[in-house]
Amino acid sequence: MTGRLGWAALATAAAVIPFFTSNTYYLYVVISVGLLTIVTAGLNVLVGFTGQTSLGHAGLYAFGAYTAALCVTRAGTSEWIAIAVAVVITSMVGAAVAAAALRVSGPYLAMVTIAFGLIVEGVVIEWGSVTGGPGGIFNIPKPGLRTHYWTVMLAAALALWLTANLRRSAWGRACLAVKSSEVAAESLGLSAYYVRIAAFTVSAAFAGAAGALFTFLNGYISPDSFTLQTSILFLLALLFGGLGRIAGPVAGSVALTILPELLTRLLDYRLILYGSLLLLSIYWLPDGVVGAVSRARRSRPAPLELSLSPLGRGQGEGAGTLLVANGVNLSFGGVAALAGVALTVNRHHIHAVIGPNGAGKTSLLNVLSGFYALQAGTIMVDGRSIDGLSPYAIARHGIARTFQTAQVFGGLSVRDNVAVGVAGPRLGSPLSALFATPGGRARDAFIQSRALDLLEAFGLGELAHEPAESLAAGLRRKLEIARALATEPLLLMLDEPAAGLSPAEIAALDAQLTGLRDQGGPTVILVEHHMDLVMAVSDRITVLDYGRVIAEGAPEEIRQNPAVIEAYLGATT
Amino acid sequence: MYGLVALGYHITWATSRTMNFSQGHAVMVGAVVAYAVFVALGWPFPLALVVTLVALAGFGALVERVAVRPFFLRASPAWLLATIAVGIIAENVAQLTFGKDARAFPSPLMRKPIILGSAGFYPQELLVPVVGLLLMGLVQLFYHRTAYGKQLKAVAWNPEAAGLMGINIPRAVMASYALSALLAGVAGVLLAPLLNVSPQMGTIIGLKAFAVAIIGGLTSAPGIVLAGLGYGLVESFTAGYVSTRAREIVGFGLVILVLVVRPWGLLGEKPSRRV
Amino acid sequence: MRRFLVIFTILLAGVLAATGSVLAQSKEPVKIGLSAAVSGGSAASGEAIKRGLQIAIDEINGKGGVLGGRKLELVIRDDEGNPQKGVTIARELVEREKVAAVFGGLHTTVALAQVPVWQELKVPYMGAWAAGTNITRNGQTPNYVFRVSANDDYVDRFLSRYAMDALKKGKPGLLLENTPWGQSNEAGLTKWFGEKGVKAVGVERFNWNDPDMSPQLLRLKNAGADLIVLVANAPEGAQVLRSKSKLGWDAAMISHWGISGGRFAELTGDLSDGVTFLQTYTFFGKQNERGQYVLKMLRDKYGVKEPGDVIAPVGTANAYDGMHLVAMAIDQAGSTDGTKVRDALENLKGEYKGLIKTYKRPFTAEQHDALTDEDYVMVVWKGGKIVPISMK
Repeated sequence: MTGRLGWAALATAAAVIPFFTSNTYYLYVVISVGLLTIVTAGLNVLVGFTGQTSLGHAGLYAFGAYTAALCVTRAGTSEWIAIAVAVVITSMVGAAVAAAALRVSGPYLAMVTIAFGLIVEGVVIEWGSVTGGPGGIFNIPKPGLRTHYWTVMLAAALALWLTANLRRSAWGRACLAVKSSEVAAESLGLSAYYVRIAAFTVSAAFAGAAGALFTFLNGYISPDSFTLQTSILFLLALLFGGLGRIAGPVAGSVALTILPELLTRLLDYRLILYGSLLLLSIYWLPDGVVGAVSRARRSRPAPLELSLSPLGRGQGEGAGTLLVANGVNLSFGGVAALAGVALTVNRHHIHAVIGPNGAGKTSLLNVLSGFYALQAGTIMVDGRSIDGLSPYAIARHGIARTFQTAQVFGGLSVRDNVAVGVAGPRLGSPLSALFATPGGRARDAFIQSRALDLLEAFGLGELAHEPAESLAAGLRRKLEIARALATEPLLLMLDEPAAGLSPAEIAALDAQLTGLRDQGGPTVILVEHHMDLVMAVSDRITVLDYGRVIAEGAPEEIRQNPAVIEAYLGATT
Repeated sequence: MYGLVALGYHITWATSRTMNFSQGHAVMVGAVVAYAVFVALGWPFPLALVVTLVALAGFGALVERVAVRPFFLRASPAWLLATIAVGIIAENVAQLTFGKDARAFPSPLMRKPIILGSAGFYPQELLVPVVGLLLMGLVQLFYHRTAYGKQLKAVAWNPEAAGLMGINIPRAVMASYALSALLAGVAGVLLAPLLNVSPQMGTIIGLKAFAVAIIGGLTSAPGIVLAGLGYGLVESFTAGYVSTRAREIVGFGLVILVLVVRPWGLLGEKPSRRV
Repeated sequence: MRRFLVIFTILLAGVLAATGSVLAQSKEPVKIGLSAAVSGGSAASGEAIKRGLQIAIDEINGKGGVLGGRKLELVIRDDEGNPQKGVTIARELVEREKVAAVFGGLHTTVALAQVPVWQELKVPYMGAWAAGTNITRNGQTPNYVFRVSANDDYVDRFLSRYAMDALKKGKPGLLLENTPWGQSNEAGLTKWFGEKGVKAVGVERFNWNDPDMSPQLLRLKNAGADLIVLVANAPEGAQVLRSKSKLGWDAAMISHWGISGGRFAELTGDLSDGVTFLQTYTFFGKQNERGQYVLKMLRDKYGVKEPGDVIAPVGTANAYDGMHLVAMAIDQAGSTDGTKVRDALENLKGEYKGLIKTYKRPFTAEQHDALTDEDYVMVVWKGGKIVPISMK
């Protein structure tokens, strides 16, 4: 409730300022805050939600500004059309840049975005016949300061509203999932690359809009406004305000616009103070000025009769084999991790893969789920080959998995973790997410209710609104399994689900797995050390040692197989 | 010329997976300190050099302590921005103490150019790559031959194991920052006669060195040296035969191109996915 | 959220409190604004202008100030060479600090961006450095923008005439910095050389802080240039000379005023000998009364020991004269009202024996540049000193 009050207070403050003062300086400063808010709100989607750092947003800002200026001065369009064109063009540029830039991450991404910004700056300076060169474009028709004040304020409010909508939608959850654990997100069928491109494009659109509005603020633009320093300022404002918080961009923009204004009197020492304040704020305010924003507290939606688009794959009906792998090889720098492994898994079986440490069990799972590229051999699932597919594509074939160390999405609630799985790659249109269309909202409510149902079934209903990172190890594993099941997989691969669990929890897991099988649930591949569990639940067992299959059969056969006993004894002594 | 500064990014990245984004400012600090003791105070050059190097190592350690260590474990761009903030402060302090004007840094190697045909160069310009390559060789020796260098490498390889083996990781990271700033300082002293000394001198060098480090691959020292040479060649080629104005555009376009084709740099190794 | 609101409120209150305190003053000092870059790569220019203004203001205040006893007070803001910042500062100086007039700095882009603000808020602006032609010739009437500085258009006419008439050179190669200033001079030089039927054999550009200009010079040399026309500031100008010496090229060189800083000699050593360039004023050579006074003040206040230590002398000289003219206009207007001061500037009565020249009605409705090519001098570097060249 305090959150809503805060927003109302902020809106009121912005609305009364023009009636309170005729001082154009204050109006101008508030407009500057508004413009910075729009850019940083977009940047928030990229950096805060999706976890990718861009130091090239001044380039996109420039694209918006110059596009709008050229529309008005060359094509003679109205201000509104110019802004619309600027947004569209900047989004397209953003998507293209993202497609190239997001192949890399970390400092490499920082470099690509820096390079992009510098290239835009360079081209703007050199392409004098169009951009006016270093002198820029002046005498651009512009609205009065007061009119523009309202335009920018409304645009800033719109920008915040859009990001808030996005954060609550399947897209927002997908972004945060990708940020928190790329591998886990891919195992649920999300293409991290695709999600990041979408986030970058959205942030580019915001930067373009702000750039266009900037053009109509001064009626004059020149390359000096779009340097690397500008990009850094954008990022600083966001970090200062609070990464990933909806209100972060406002707080950061207010602070980083007004702070230098207050410091203008301290001329020579200004930048020292500015730098120190930044340093201290990063130090003391790790979450930015905006601390914990109260999580959206909404009552549980009533179950809706609504269906998601079909997953576009077989439903795993019928009997026979589901997975056939042959001659699977994998080596790391000459050391063979898997050598000619063959694995056949029957539908609705629980098929265990066991072996001593280092036998290649997890490597096998990683190959089957696409995280390690297949070096030789074939893998067929449900009659289709999945050789060479990327993890998210394999996940879309109906293969879900968990990880040795549970990969829950920090920053998302327990329910939202499962909701990411429910939606999988079916994120809907980003536009409907941004604008929270009724259809989009209904869809989302449906996803959430499905997620809650699953949590109830797993006995996690009580914890639905807890942040996932607060869960204990055992609960995390449970959540991870629930999330994987949420994708309605044909095949569920569990990587040591019993590790670190108490005997009681293991018993519960046992019951859960058999229950799943008896209800006609997915086929399960179980990698596990805990022999009692394996022997109790498995239909068949494959034993690996040094990357080779040394035995395969029903539990009781395996128990008596001399090669297996030797492998285990050899490994333990 | 960029290689030496770029290597500084590699050194801290290799040990700590962080880096001083304001490496260019370390170059500037090196030149300014050297100017202060050598030109302003008139100390003999060897002594001035030692003072500069010690000061720079201290600067590097300070950057690490203030702007990197507090954020070491935080998975956010915090350290990146914190080092930028330190850079802003360093530049402003230099402006207040050193002045806003560019100053000349005298060098006996700058008096007469050597002219060969229609082109020529100053001996100082030759000194830069020679000393640069020499230092890079020394750094490699340090890493591969000395016990402490091997320890630093171990930290890079596996911090947990290195910690268990009794290596003081914070100290190792700090040492790598000191070493990295020290190299930047040497670059500053070498470049000062060519570029003149001013509080702004480091910004562009830092940026281009970063581009070089990225092209070469942050994890690969030989890659960075190669990329440094290549980048310099491409720059002068573009400036000489296409247009001086296209230099920046071509240079940074190349960065993007290289990364699209080889996302981890020319010789960098792809970080293995932890699954 | 709550913490954020608290901070927002505090900031808002701070801003409003600042306004209140300004409004409370009435028979207080007359404030004069300066919007210039005092940090970053052009910091020296801002510093030079500040010194010129401060010396003039101290002098005026020492004689009783303006409007019968009100002191002048300088309010400096750093525009960082960034046009957006410049516009913010323009509004802040006028609306919050209530300045009577504003002086401008080196950046043509900043000055151009600010023009609409002066027109809207009706406050006179006095350019002390940026030479972009269309800053003063901006098509506005009444025009609030004045300048005591060079105007590129006049400079380029002056330089082209000097090249053709005094040096008898007919194949100029232009070497310009890649900024609005270079852009403005490319237009002017092309225009004025073209008037005499001469076309530059090549136009080359360089960026700030470029270390090596050899490729550009080589292209000009190969194109057959017999004269280099340089538009650069001291650091880049020094690199041009070094590169020129590397090529072993001895073509003559004339330059816009950017290389006038005393450090140019320090940066280039004996390479600077014979480089000829334009000034509005030089502190070398015999000084008039004002020149001696300003040099003395520079020494007492800023520790400037000799003319070679004067950083960016044109900035100081222009600002000094500009400040005196503005003070005269305020007295003549009898008020700090922007419109009245503007009108007084256009119709200044009496003459002012200034540093650069004696001003008699320096501005009219059509002419907003107090200095024209009549007032420029050609000078040459010789042994680290600037020596005037007699122009006949």
